[in-house]
Amino acid sequence: MILLASSSQDNLSRWERSIHHLDPVFVSKNLALLNDQLVRGKPQILLLDRDFPGIDGSEGIAILMKLSLETKFIILSQTVTEEIEWELFRIGVRGCCRSDIEAEQLSSVVEAVGRGELWIRRSLSWRLLNELVTMTREQNRIKRTVSQLLSNLTRREYEIATLVGNGESNKQIARRLAITERTVKAHLTEVFRKLDVADRLKLALIVKGSVSSSTTTQAEH
Amino acid sequence: MQTVTVAIADRDPGRRKKLEQLLKGGAGIEVMANVMNASGKAHSRKAAALNAACTEDIVLEVSRLRPRILFFNLDSFGSASLKMIEALNRECPDTFIVVLTEGLIEEEQILRALANGARGYLTHEADRCYFLKAVRVVDQGEIWVSRKMLGRIMDKVCTDISLLGRGSLDFAR
Repeated sequence: MILLASSSQDNLSRWERSIHHLDPVFVSKNLALLNDQLVRGKPQILLLDRDFPGIDGSEGIAILMKLSLETKFIILSQTVTEEIEWELFRIGVRGCCRSDIEAEQLSSVVEAVGRGELWIRRSLSWRLLNELVTMTREQNRIKRTVSQLLSNLTRREYEIATLVGNGESNKQIARRLAITERTVKAHLTEVFRKLDVADRLKLALIVKGSVSSSTTTQAEH
Repeated sequence: MQTVTVAIADRDPGRRKKLEQLLKGGAGIEVMANVMNASGKAHSRKAAALNAACTEDIVLEVSRLRPRILFFNLDSFGSASLKMIEALNRECPDTFIVVLTEGLIEEEQILRALANGARGYLTHEADRCYFLKAVRVVDQGEIWVSRKMLGRIMDKVCTDISLLGRGSLDFAR
């Protein structure tokens, strides 16, 4: 199912003619109906006019996206700056194009986005890749820091921290390691102190982020 | 048309030669000396030190030659590939890396290469015109990836944003 949302009948008619051969097409002309169709219909693709009444910019679109996580959003606009387009992609939009796009090209956009592709201008694709590179560097830095901290744990403390990372309770850990629950608690107190964390949730996040992708940390123990 | 300098990092001499020939036919492309000459020394070293030595040699050679584009064969360097791309990206920021792959390589592996700083990817089987076009596009500061891969990159960025936002970032600061 493809959903078209615009207050302009002219837009809706043109878009519908462009893509009617792809999937069943439904239209929304007001926000209440659009919300309802997103929640109930879970369309595969939504073609949304950026000037749709009642939607407040990127934030409004982000709220709509939460109504149907499986729907891929394509935003159509008369004019959209590179900055606005970038903001839209950062909230998870899968395609952006002009609302007066040629029929044949709109069909290509919908098909491409349907296949999991991203319809993004070339100048922004570099920016997107750059974002990934920056994040990867940051993650690597975090992993290195966490690995260093985890290397301060004893073999037993590391073992227990890993099990906490797997979501196990103190009782389960005690049973698995054939020790008392009290001993588990004592080890965990020491782990919290060494890693300077206050609770097991934070410990789990740290261990998970490090252990799942770092074999060196484990080898050190 | 401004000349674009290109180097190739591929351990397979036959494949490297073929790509050299292909690129030499492109207008405004200068194929530089073989960056694998330096790492040839590493072949005689024992396995444990091989990858580290090879990375160091290639980074040094690329730093010396300073090609604008480096075609980097992902299969040639096995598990060291990503570290090598990351090191090249860090040490030779003026050189843009385009990864070369075999046809059946996993998308995830390409995604990791891109995350570590590669600017594009091509399969060895790609048409000649794509190689020449990729050189031009990457030289102009753009990237050479498919829309499908852009979709994967976007998915990864969105996932990573939510993961980084869940506390581990603050902890590591």
